[in-house]
Amino acid sequence: MTSWSLRAVTAAVLLSTALPASAEEVLRLRLNGDVNTLDPISTTNFTIRNAAYMMYDTLFAMDENYSVRPQMAEGAEVSEDGLVYTITLRDGLKFHDGTDVTAQDAVASLKRWGSVDGLGKILFSKTASLEATDEATITLTLTEPWGLVLDALGKISSNVPVIMPAEMAANPASDPVQNPIGSGPYRLVPDEWVPGSVVVFEKFEDYVPRSEPASLAAGGKIAHFDRVEAQYIPDTATAINALIAGEIDWIEEVPADMLVFFEGQDSAQTLAARQSGNSMQLVVNHLNPPFDNPKIRQALQLALEQQPFLLAAYGDATDRYQECAEVFFCDTPYASGVNTDRVLKRDVAAAKALLAEAGYDGTPVFLMHVTDISTHDIYYSVLKPMLEEAGFVVDAQPADWATVATRRASKEPVANGGWNLFFTGWGFVDQSNPMTNVYVSGDCGNAWFGWACSEELQELRKDFANESNDATRKELAKEMQRLTHDLVSYVPMGQSFPSVGIASNLEGYINGPVPFFWNLKRAD
Amino acid sequence: MLSYTCSRLLAGLPTLFLVSVFIFSLIHLTPGDPAVLLAGDNATPSQVEAIRTRLNLDRPLWQQFWMWFSNAVRLDLGASVYSGKPVTELIGQRLEPTLVLSAATLVITVLIAIPLGAIAAWHANTFIDRFAMGFAVIGFSVPVFAIAYVLVYLFAVRWRLFPVQGYKWLEDGLFTCLHSVTLPALALALVFAALIARVTRASVLDTLGENYIRTAHAKGLAAPRILFIHGLKSAGVPVVTVIGIGLATLIGGVVVTESVFNIPGIGRLTVDAITRRDYPVIQGVILFFSAMLILINLVVDLTYAFIDPRVRN
Repeated sequence: MTSWSLRAVTAAVLLSTALPASAEEVLRLRLNGDVNTLDPISTTNFTIRNAAYMMYDTLFAMDENYSVRPQMAEGAEVSEDGLVYTITLRDGLKFHDGTDVTAQDAVASLKRWGSVDGLGKILFSKTASLEATDEATITLTLTEPWGLVLDALGKISSNVPVIMPAEMAANPASDPVQNPIGSGPYRLVPDEWVPGSVVVFEKFEDYVPRSEPASLAAGGKIAHFDRVEAQYIPDTATAINALIAGEIDWIEEVPADMLVFFEGQDSAQTLAARQSGNSMQLVVNHLNPPFDNPKIRQALQLALEQQPFLLAAYGDATDRYQECAEVFFCDTPYASGVNTDRVLKRDVAAAKALLAEAGYDGTPVFLMHVTDISTHDIYYSVLKPMLEEAGFVVDAQPADWATVATRRASKEPVANGGWNLFFTGWGFVDQSNPMTNVYVSGDCGNAWFGWACSEELQELRKDFANESNDATRKELAKEMQRLTHDLVSYVPMGQSFPSVGIASNLEGYINGPVPFFWNLKRAD
Repeated sequence: MLSYTCSRLLAGLPTLFLVSVFIFSLIHLTPGDPAVLLAGDNATPSQVEAIRTRLNLDRPLWQQFWMWFSNAVRLDLGASVYSGKPVTELIGQRLEPTLVLSAATLVITVLIAIPLGAIAAWHANTFIDRFAMGFAVIGFSVPVFAIAYVLVYLFAVRWRLFPVQGYKWLEDGLFTCLHSVTLPALALALVFAALIARVTRASVLDTLGENYIRTAHAKGLAAPRILFIHGLKSAGVPVVTVIGIGLATLIGGVVVTESVFNIPGIGRLTVDAITRRDYPVIQGVILFFSAMLILINLVVDLTYAFIDPRVRN
């Protein structure tokens, strides 16, 4: 071989290795948790919900003004008496296995969803029949008019009423589907899915987006990436370093104490997701002493205030949190300042006086101090001295979240595995709606953990569901808040706005309460 | 030798049985219910109960153990309650990263520790000795994760020489794969090397006082030849023992390192399974680790015979 040809061959080899065969656009994500299943009906886990949005579509969806708009549906016609909803599917909808999406698939999917979801159960309790009238038409007939049908079908958070093939939807809701098939803008690559490590999606070429611009979960879902990899990176510092180094493109949540990592970085930035606020709550068990006594529960409100917790957790990142005692979150359609004084202002003397009046006998308050979630750990560390200062006796035991998640379901006395208080967090989308906010049900033994009991609240919620006038609904929501804070279903611990970490070269990100990855693209 | 190997392997079986009983009891004594975690925060008690029934978690403990054990003797370790995948498949998927990481760690360790220990012994009680042993003390005292973060900051974030995280599979090319495990292997090796360097120093120091070394000096052999050919070989038995013990320590280190560097190995699988109370995976992985340790101990014992003729006889 001559030296010229040798050089030519060498140059060709170098070029062929330097340039990829095709410029495949890949989006790499770090979700908060691992994707062990892609069946968002079998679990309420938010990581699964977020990943599921990549590959499933819904009949209706919520837009950025919190209005429900058609998504897979062309539209819905409602009969004059409000009892019959006729929903038509859009043309050209296909599942990822190439089959057409039919009304039968939608009916089977909705029935499966309605067997587990809170709002879905209410809908089906008022449903006389749900049928596929033809291949593209779904007919829902109610037993009584209910103003929240489309709100339920366009529910944005868990459980999201996603549409899957009828054979898949025949699986019981408690049994996750093993080979998930959706009809969304991206499809799963099953062979590359390693639970505990990575789940891979690729662009679904046959997806037909709506023509309207993307607006939260509604509008045109346009996939700009050929491939999306959702990696499970358990260590947050590692994930942030990987984002800054350009190895990944997006992190679901950057803790407040790590925001400093992004200072002076050109490759990545953080966005405070104000619309996707979370709130921390101190949940109170109404079944066990001392909090079976309403006055002692109100003393608990007086013993606490939000600022010390928020400061301890978020430090000087003051744009990432706000004090908020409003049951339906601050800055939302049903937000109001009714009956929040006792919640917002700490008054140790008043707490002590109320404890004495209630005859508090020093029964220890049992705390399951969660140590494996840093925000929880901080909140418990602040809680104990505040309670003690107000006159409570506290028994704090360290535990991991798995233990707390199990023990909180126990209605037994503390000595038999029960509990008194625990912290938890809920997102804006669930809490801002009186139908999905777990603290305003007043449903006694059937209520969420804590089992707050109030027939008045139950009635208010029914009235809310049957009311279609917005002004009246707002009044009902105010009354629910007043009762909830008197009942002390929980103590609100402030609202925070988690920061998303995102590569600087991405544009079109929908900064909403649920992360969506359509519309997102790499800037030229 | 063959009958010795077989008897050692058979003796390992009761150990594995005891380990499985112990682990089963321990994880079921730990509070936490996988069904609750699978169902998610917003689940109702009836949703949780349906999952418990599906996973057989509502059955008496002895029945659950018997179901697991009778399958395990047929090498069926059950399926993960978390992902539904067979445990053997999960271990198989995760084996390569852990083996590559362990092998790379071992190579780096030996390359650093043995020369360091031998040179320290040769220059015993001099500045070089103190410097080498000072390094060993620091390496042994600093936690793996702290070393890992420093390495990531310097070599990945600042100088961009290695990836921050992730694992590239062998099928992507040997160099790409080794490139992805260099930092984690180095982080682990620094701890491991510290231990072996100290043992090597002590062992070589003992050997250097022997008559045959004095003879080698008298014959006029060059210092490197005396140290590395004559001295090190005789000092090998304790060093190999410590490498064997160190491999057990390495398993602990792998758990931390795989999490920090986001390597989808068996260490990560273990940690994730524990936090999720994924009982079949925890049992399967611990059983796997136990079997590996029994094998490692056997290999170490057999290695003595190759190094030291006195053992062979």
